[in-house]
Amino acid sequence: MNIRLILLSYFFLSQTQAFAQTTLSGRVLDEKNHPLPGVNVFVKGSFDGSSTDVAGAFQFETTESGLQILVFSMLGFESQELKIELVGRTINLPAVSLREEFNELNTVTISAGSMEASDEKKSVILRPLDIVTTPSANGDIIGAFQTLPGTSTVGNDGRLFVRGGDASEVGIYIDGLKVANSYGTTAANVPTRNRFNPNLFKGTFFSTGGYSAEYGQALSSALAMNTKDVAVRSQVDLSVLSVGAGYSHTLANDNRSISLSGNILDLTPYQALVKQNFDWERAPHGWDLELAAQSKLKKGGILKVLARTESGGMELWQAMPGISGKGVLVNLKNNYSYAQTNWRKAYENGWTLFAGASYSHNRDQVSYDSMEIDRANDLTHLKFTAVKDFSGRISAKSGVEFFIHSYAEKLVRSALSRSFDEQEGYLFTEWDWYLSRKLVLRGGLRAGHSKLADQSWADPRASFAYQVSENGTLSLAAGRFHQLPVDNFRVLNPNLQNSQANHLILNYLLQTDGITFRAETFYKSYDELALLEGNPQSPSLLKNGGSGYAKGFDVFFRDRQSIKNTDYWITYSFVDSKRSYNQYETQVQPDFAPKHNFSVVIKHFVPSLKSQIGASFSFNDGYTYTDPNFSGEMNSKTRSYQNLSLSWSYLPKPNLIIHGAVTNVLGSENIFGYNYTVAPDESGSYASLPIKQSAPRFIVIGVFLTLSKDKNANMLNNL
Amino acid sequence: MKKLSTTLALAFAFIFSAFCADPAYENAMKKQVTAMKTIQTLEESQAVTNAFLRMAEAKPEEWLPLYYAAYLQTTAVFRFEVDKDQYLDQAMTLVEKAEKISVDNSEITAMKGYVVMGKISLDPASRGQSLSPQAMQLFGKAISLDRENPRALMLMSQMEQGMAQFFGSGPEKACGLARNAIALYSKEEAKVSDDYLLPTWGKAQAEQVANACN
Repeated sequence: MNIRLILLSYFFLSQTQAFAQTTLSGRVLDEKNHPLPGVNVFVKGSFDGSSTDVAGAFQFETTESGLQILVFSMLGFESQELKIELVGRTINLPAVSLREEFNELNTVTISAGSMEASDEKKSVILRPLDIVTTPSANGDIIGAFQTLPGTSTVGNDGRLFVRGGDASEVGIYIDGLKVANSYGTTAANVPTRNRFNPNLFKGTFFSTGGYSAEYGQALSSALAMNTKDVAVRSQVDLSVLSVGAGYSHTLANDNRSISLSGNILDLTPYQALVKQNFDWERAPHGWDLELAAQSKLKKGGILKVLARTESGGMELWQAMPGISGKGVLVNLKNNYSYAQTNWRKAYENGWTLFAGASYSHNRDQVSYDSMEIDRANDLTHLKFTAVKDFSGRISAKSGVEFFIHSYAEKLVRSALSRSFDEQEGYLFTEWDWYLSRKLVLRGGLRAGHSKLADQSWADPRASFAYQVSENGTLSLAAGRFHQLPVDNFRVLNPNLQNSQANHLILNYLLQTDGITFRAETFYKSYDELALLEGNPQSPSLLKNGGSGYAKGFDVFFRDRQSIKNTDYWITYSFVDSKRSYNQYETQVQPDFAPKHNFSVVIKHFVPSLKSQIGASFSFNDGYTYTDPNFSGEMNSKTRSYQNLSLSWSYLPKPNLIIHGAVTNVLGSENIFGYNYTVAPDESGSYASLPIKQSAPRFIVIGVFLTLSKDKNANMLNNL
Repeated sequence: MKKLSTTLALAFAFIFSAFCADPAYENAMKKQVTAMKTIQTLEESQAVTNAFLRMAEAKPEEWLPLYYAAYLQTTAVFRFEVDKDQYLDQAMTLVEKAEKISVDNSEITAMKGYVVMGKISLDPASRGQSLSPQAMQLFGKAISLDRENPRALMLMSQMEQGMAQFFGSGPEKACGLARNAIALYSKEEAKVSDDYLLPTWGKAQAEQVANACN
């Protein structure tokens, strides 16, 4: 007979024979050998057990016998199991020590370069709600981020400019999948907006540098927006604004939701009432349709679909210096579609898998005087990632990505055309290692290959964070970043190679329940930027070789507790940036990188008026430009930029919001640069025209109504 | 053949155990349900929670021990100095486990809403917008699953009261719900005996809402 069988039969017999109780006692300690009270100690599969007292001691009796498993478990600690033979007498166990469990809530996070807008975390820089309630933003995601440290407001452009980088250096993602042409196509000096509605997203992650190996093809910044999960109820949302109207219908049950929405926009009636600086033939107009669906899957996991299609256009006269009359007529038509789907599932064994695909299509038809240009851009992004959590102390994220990209542009009248087809592949891996709850190290590597540029590269990234006090964290991030030049440059010279940047960031973050203070200093170097002859609109002789740097610091302070019903934040960013790029042969301060940037946002809730009143103020010290009447590049600077915006949101009922906002209340005559004649006049001087705002101010009034048609509508209709 | 008979015997034993009350379990539950009513300190709360967790572990087919453990974790957040988010996250994990055992259970659904409400209370200004509809939807669902569940009504009345305060609207809705809840509590009290293990808590909270109405 096998010895195991003998033992087994012995235990089986002993179990039936022994009636005697066993008394178990012992102590439970934490890793530092301090007593641990409240630990649940019990015989597995029975009701017998007890909790440890203040001294970490426990004692209980059990009628179980034979070989049993003793479990020690406690919230926030890793459970332990101990095999024990219960023989009907007192057993005094040696001390057991439990290891603290590391989770997102009790460990330090790396905050260098990153800012998060989320409802789930207790203290964040920005909340999703702030995006719709920041007066200067007018409901544009990008407008809200322009009040955060590290950004510059370029009022005649509207896109996001981060730390001396141009707008193309910001990579925009939805659920981890790239969005191409995420800004509306616009004419020169008419500011644009992000196409996507902020209400689609439950949270946003904004990085001003040193970001994760998950993201690439962005020299300055990654903006990752995460869509909402399954909607909780069916509802209808209606909006009527001074510039358009919208309708949205959501159907939801416990596991699934789908929402369809449509908007129309036309500034014609508005422009008839409010004086404009530009001479419009046809005011900006357009429509969009959007579908978002979410489904919880039977075996766990979630599947999401997002699709959007839109069309728009505008026509206006652009004044030219030295030419009398209206100037040049510019007509613009845009068609855009974006679709993506993604699947995510967390498995009990610590793995989380993600798979997704996105497709962006953009077509612009532009006529400039007698020239007609037709541009088309298509981008497909496929991505798969796997995250493995090893015991909460080490976690790894790895992924593979593939991009298929094509771009074509043609001159309609002369039937001349040019295009390129590109394929890019990426592999990345990133490891987080928690040495303690207060210290985390992160290392990552991202490798890529471009077929068109025939180039392979690898970018190492590293960061660490250390919790220096109860609420304070110090973190450091460094990394290398590659990005291929913009499409209209690559189509002229497909051999253009990646531009490259190196980031070094030091961050201090102090967060308490109501106050956030953040200070960051950075250094960024640029190499192999694209250089050209002529100007970026009609470039020639494109090559790599431009270089430069950006350095500076920024501070952010947000206070939600000192003044009752009031929430405010103050931001100051200093950027010292110089680069040789585009037509600039020497290193100059780019026109999109003002040195001093300051902004304040204040929101005050007045319960008696059922209103939230908001104000935001932005300031920078002016934009550089080249005055050909003097020698040198970027030899001049405009006067300072100022914008005070006010808003009022009135909630007469919880489902009805009346919102009004005015930007540039003071009517500051902001100037973003000057256009000069190509050749000097008889007296030898170049005539100029200032680049002004499209209108002194912008006013929007809107009514937003939510109707809930839930099964429990009688109970819920007051939401 | 032998295999089949063993399987049958096992299946029978399983069905038998599932339908037949387990006196050891009932006694242990009774002891803890009683102990639960006299909790004064965090240590006591933890000891009773642990006892429920032990029963949940030993009787994986029962939802009630998980429900009570979740209830104690949630009330601890309001009564004692604890890591509130961590406690509520664990309460949610327990509720989700209970949900898998007993699908479409009004009490569990209401408890889930209670946990969400706890989450909101920690940071109403920023969590309210996204979580309030979720809590209301859960209370609404709990009511439709069992129109006699006073806790679902009571919790919804608390939620209504909070929202009325925030929006500066009248308390009528909250008051009506609280009064209906009190009526249901009285009805429930008639059923309660010494052997009653199902939830009975919450009357005092309903009265608190109702008292603010006059």
